[in-house]
Amino acid sequence: MDKKTISVEQLTFAYPPLVVGGTPEPLFHGLELTVAAGQSLAVVGRSGSGKSTLTHILAGLAPRYTGGELTGEVRIGGRDLAAEPPAPTAVGVLFQDAATQLFTSAVEDEVAWGLEALGTAPTEIGPVVMDALRKFGLLEVSKRPPWALSGGQQKRLALASLWALRPRVWLLDEPLGGLDPAGRVEVLAALTQLRQEGVTQLFTTARVTRGSWEDSAALLTGGALTAPATWDSLHAQHARLVAAGLLCPAASWARLERSARAPGSRLALEARHLRYAYPDGPAVLHGLDLRIPQGQFVAVIGPNGAGKSTLIRHFNGLLRPTSGSLQVMERKSRGLSVGELARQVGFLFQRPEQQLFATTVREELAYGVRQLRLSNVEKRVERSLARFGLSEIAGRPPAILSYGSQRAVTLAALAALETPILVLDEPTVGLDGRGWAQLLEWVAERRAAGTTIIVVTHELALAARADRVLALRAGRIAADGPPDAVLSQFVGEE
Amino acid sequence: MGLVLDLYRPGRSWLHRLDPRVKLWGVALGLILAFLLPSAAAQALLLLAVLLLLRSNGIKWDALRWLWRQIRFLFLLILCLQPFFTSAGETLFALGPLRLTLGGATHALGLALRVLSMSFITGGFLFTTEQRQLVRAFVRLGFPYPWGLTLSLTLRFLPAISSLFGTVREAQAARGWVAEGNIFRRAREYLPVLIAVTIGALRMGDQLTLALAARGLGTAAERTTWRDIEMRPADWRALVGMSAAFLVVAAVNAG
Repeated sequence: MDKKTISVEQLTFAYPPLVVGGTPEPLFHGLELTVAAGQSLAVVGRSGSGKSTLTHILAGLAPRYTGGELTGEVRIGGRDLAAEPPAPTAVGVLFQDAATQLFTSAVEDEVAWGLEALGTAPTEIGPVVMDALRKFGLLEVSKRPPWALSGGQQKRLALASLWALRPRVWLLDEPLGGLDPAGRVEVLAALTQLRQEGVTQLFTTARVTRGSWEDSAALLTGGALTAPATWDSLHAQHARLVAAGLLCPAASWARLERSARAPGSRLALEARHLRYAYPDGPAVLHGLDLRIPQGQFVAVIGPNGAGKSTLIRHFNGLLRPTSGSLQVMERKSRGLSVGELARQVGFLFQRPEQQLFATTVREELAYGVRQLRLSNVEKRVERSLARFGLSEIAGRPPAILSYGSQRAVTLAALAALETPILVLDEPTVGLDGRGWAQLLEWVAERRAAGTTIIVVTHELALAARADRVLALRAGRIAADGPPDAVLSQFVGEE
Repeated sequence: MGLVLDLYRPGRSWLHRLDPRVKLWGVALGLILAFLLPSAAAQALLLLAVLLLLRSNGIKWDALRWLWRQIRFLFLLILCLQPFFTSAGETLFALGPLRLTLGGATHALGLALRVLSMSFITGGFLFTTEQRQLVRAFVRLGFPYPWGLTLSLTLRFLPAISSLFGTVREAQAARGWVAEGNIFRRAREYLPVLIAVTIGALRMGDQLTLALAARGLGTAAERTTWRDIEMRPADWRALVGMSAAFLVVAAVNAG
């Protein structure tokens, strides 16, 4: 391979317009990029900056399979990608959502699939599959279906499947994105190991946190890449990172801290001996007793499988206690429908952009308000549109907006309901600095207004700003109290 | 519980090790037999034989119970309604135009047992056959690889779409979505869920296209197969044995 393993000159690219008669909007403007053989470069950019598209172009997938117009020159190992796509043995690409790139029914078959596609002799496939599974710590799950694995295991399986083909260039699209802390540790270890093999890597990230394997980083902003720099020099440009939407401004954190107020004397939620077992399954919650006063900001933490999501799904009636009881705003939840509870409890699900369906942003915001038969539909919607800066795009279909805008729409839809209780399930996953700022400032506003807020999170910085931290372990409350006391106990575990 | 399409229960039993093409042949013969056998008693014997075969090949009661739960509604529906559509023999019970006869009840029992036998024959095949083997069986029977891949992808992604459906339904319910009323109203009310799921499924399809291309689908090389299926002497013996048993039962039944 050429010394300049990845070489991009004067790249411009635009996807086909999403609406008939629309104008293509260029994503890159004369982007230049060079990565020498054996080097590792981090491309840092906020949501919608074109990070995934860049990896797709370098893998020869865009515009070949996506459509769009590309100008400029893209070469991998000296070969022009316009002439032919790179072979899977030349370039391996890890997608942001690894689950979508796993398509067989057993872990070992997944690793073998690429080798079969390349016509590798059957006798040679077995040893390579075993090597790959051993290297990425997947031997014990070799017979399991990929969809039954944890997020970290799925990413490691995708890496193992690529490694089996021995590509010389690795394109890793947000390899640590969407993972819980345990998953991040697993994948980070695998990437560090890869780096030690001396392969060429380009990976993308929206988080300005240094990994342990990359040599340098470049900012993707305004459709172009800055010159690669060390992480230390990148960190020194704090104001620039904030302006680029990559770091959450300190002012947003400060606003959240200032919004603290004494909780009310009445209860927003009260669980008594709450026990829950899924049908035909073991108990997930074991007799929890919990009292959350109105206006309190509670962070719920704990490892995967601790019962966090199961607990909060009781608050809006999606799950009902197997035994024990739950009161919401001092009314027994047993006799209340999900719709009645939704008037009291606003719920933000994980990956909330999946729920978007309406033909316009305005309709999307109005949907919940109308369904719950709340008053002043128009006023609520307009207020929420303005609050989240969505008024200008209120007539556009939410499905074609950028990821960052879609997340803003989901927050605005929730805000329009103006419920006295908010439950947010992992609301920071996939957010860049700008998304963080938007979320923190809205939470600060609601907190100051006396809304009860319950956030399930793995982000200890966010939990540290709550009034109270509830730590769950194996379906039981392991610790409950002020952040300082609980977090000092749980930092190692989380 | 979401949609379950991977019914395979790992094991090393005789049935598990049998070539999937032979098992497919066995399924075909079993289904034909279920249609040929006329009486409820014969259907009960067939069902018993299938259950014994599955139990003796390591399929646990849990799996059989799971399958029973999936079809019990249909079974009970046939058992309860069919007698009133067939009249034969002694009248056991009459209420206005409704008449329950002994012949009708026996016929309904036979029909319900037939559905049960057919379900356990097919279920037994899926309990003991890995998806990979299933796809290989179709390919080795002459279907093109893309057809086998399509089947495999369907089996892989339908549960994912089913899970997405569940997630979106819950998310919309949290915004006050309910589906009630007559069938047309319910269909309309499902739009917020169906549209969101369709958007998600299309995105999934796009990603899958890229993933397949990135891993070498459509490269010029001739595809090889790791651990391909091969007919062993035991498979040939099973094939002959199954066919002979079928012919004997069919002949006895015809006689």
